Amino acid sequence: MTLDRRRFLQSSLATAGWWLCTPSLARASGKAHLIRRSERPMNYESVRSTFTTRITPVDRFYLRNHFDIPKVDVARWRLNLHGLVEKPLTLSLPDLQRMPQVTVEAVLQCAGNGRGLFRPQVPGVQWQFGAMGNAEWTGVRLQDLLALARPKEDAAFLQYQGAERPTMDTTPQFIRAIPMAKARHADTLVALKMNGKPLLPDRGAPVRLVVPGWVGDDWVRYLSDVEVRADEPKAFYYNPGYRYPLTPGAPGAPIPADQMKPMTKVNVKSVLGSLSDGDRLRPGTHQLVGVAFSGEAGIDRVEMSFDGGKSWTAAALDGPATPYGFRVFRFPWKAEAGSYEIACRATDAAGASQPEVGVWNPGGYLNNGIDRVRVEVRT
Amino acid sequence: MIRDLARLALLLAPALAALAAETAAPAKESAQALVEGQLPDDPARTLVQAKCLLCHSGEYVTMQRLTEKQWQATVEKMRKFGSPASDEEAKAMVAYLARYWTPDLPPLRPVLSPPPPGSAPRK
Repeated sequence: MTLDRRRFLQSSLATAGWWLCTPSLARASGKAHLIRRSERPMNYESVRSTFTTRITPVDRFYLRNHFDIPKVDVARWRLNLHGLVEKPLTLSLPDLQRMPQVTVEAVLQCAGNGRGLFRPQVPGVQWQFGAMGNAEWTGVRLQDLLALARPKEDAAFLQYQGAERPTMDTTPQFIRAIPMAKARHADTLVALKMNGKPLLPDRGAPVRLVVPGWVGDDWVRYLSDVEVRADEPKAFYYNPGYRYPLTPGAPGAPIPADQMKPMTKVNVKSVLGSLSDGDRLRPGTHQLVGVAFSGEAGIDRVEMSFDGGKSWTAAALDGPATPYGFRVFRFPWKAEAGSYEIACRATDAAGASQPEVGVWNPGGYLNNGIDRVRVEVRT
Repeated sequence: MIRDLARLALLLAPALAALAAETAAPAKESAQALVEGQLPDDPARTLVQAKCLLCHSGEYVTMQRLTEKQWQATVEKMRKFGSPASDEEAKAMVAYLARYWTPDLPPLRPVLSPPPPGSAPRK
């Protein structure tokens, strides 16, 4: 018993040491570029060091699933567009490949990115900072498909679903919806490719919806059924699921259902990629690098603070600016010996800036509180 | 008399400390095991495995840090989703979940992983 406890204490100390040295898993080890949050369904977030480039490589991109990945037989797969339309469509992958293709660069971010940082805690996948990535998406404009189907005058919502299904019939299916105005936007795509390559099975093959600037839950994968409707959908993952308060409440306090609305745009955010909590550096100049983005607005500036937010200095931004993509920021930091809390704060072209702490809400969504990393500089 | 009591206390101190350590040890060990993602041995563990892990892996439980009220709401939501737990079983599961995965428990130790096969290009 005593020996067991000693062994336990030794292993605990070793674990504690590991924890202190790499508390937020700054860097990948070999090909291990992701942090596993759950094995089934597969939920993985990116390590911090991913966020130093404009485009996120596919193998470093986060994965978010409600259910198991469906096995889609692409030869038999069809996209059905029906409902309030003059001409319902049934399209195969070759049908879509024959249509005009466009490419849009856009950030895909899980609405729950940062949920694990909220206090008090809320249930759900405990994402920290890595449930986001930026890719070039190529496919057919949804407006082109809608033009073929010709929606009727009272069309107001597009409700849609992919091929994935829950394990139990009693679990709600993953059905989402967007208003027709966003469906008809020139940048909303039925995407066939991610970063120039056909979508991989876990990334939504054969096609996924791309809703630039809007929360990731709208970007349904293995898209197979699209219905044009006049009324607002009532499917669980649209209502009451994925809702955000009209007005923020006190942290931890419940909010009445009629005070919750569907999320649309993601908010302005920045993440430092080149350093992580617990890093130890030598004095000298270090190039700090990270990424910033904001819904549909584009980034205006990113500022850095090294004194707990008392003073802020502008970082340099890589160009070109894009409305929906990552903007890489850089800051040559002349580090002297000491302990530092490094913070980055982005402001978008519409003037919105990151708050000190994200707005608490019952679903743990849209946490864009200022990112902070604590490091030591020693000779 | 007081001196005798003090002497007795001194004599008993190591034994009392050992007893305190024995009593405290299981909780400490459990906290470590919880951070590592284990489901502590308990009659309700079998229930959680049978009623929750049908649709998802254990991390969906072990990564949460919730109050009893939140666990209650979560179990009720999962029963609506199809978890085949009776009222009595749900009560036992809530007690188990709320006993271990509390708001003050440190976060689940994250695990670094390569991308799953279907999510990354084959090299």
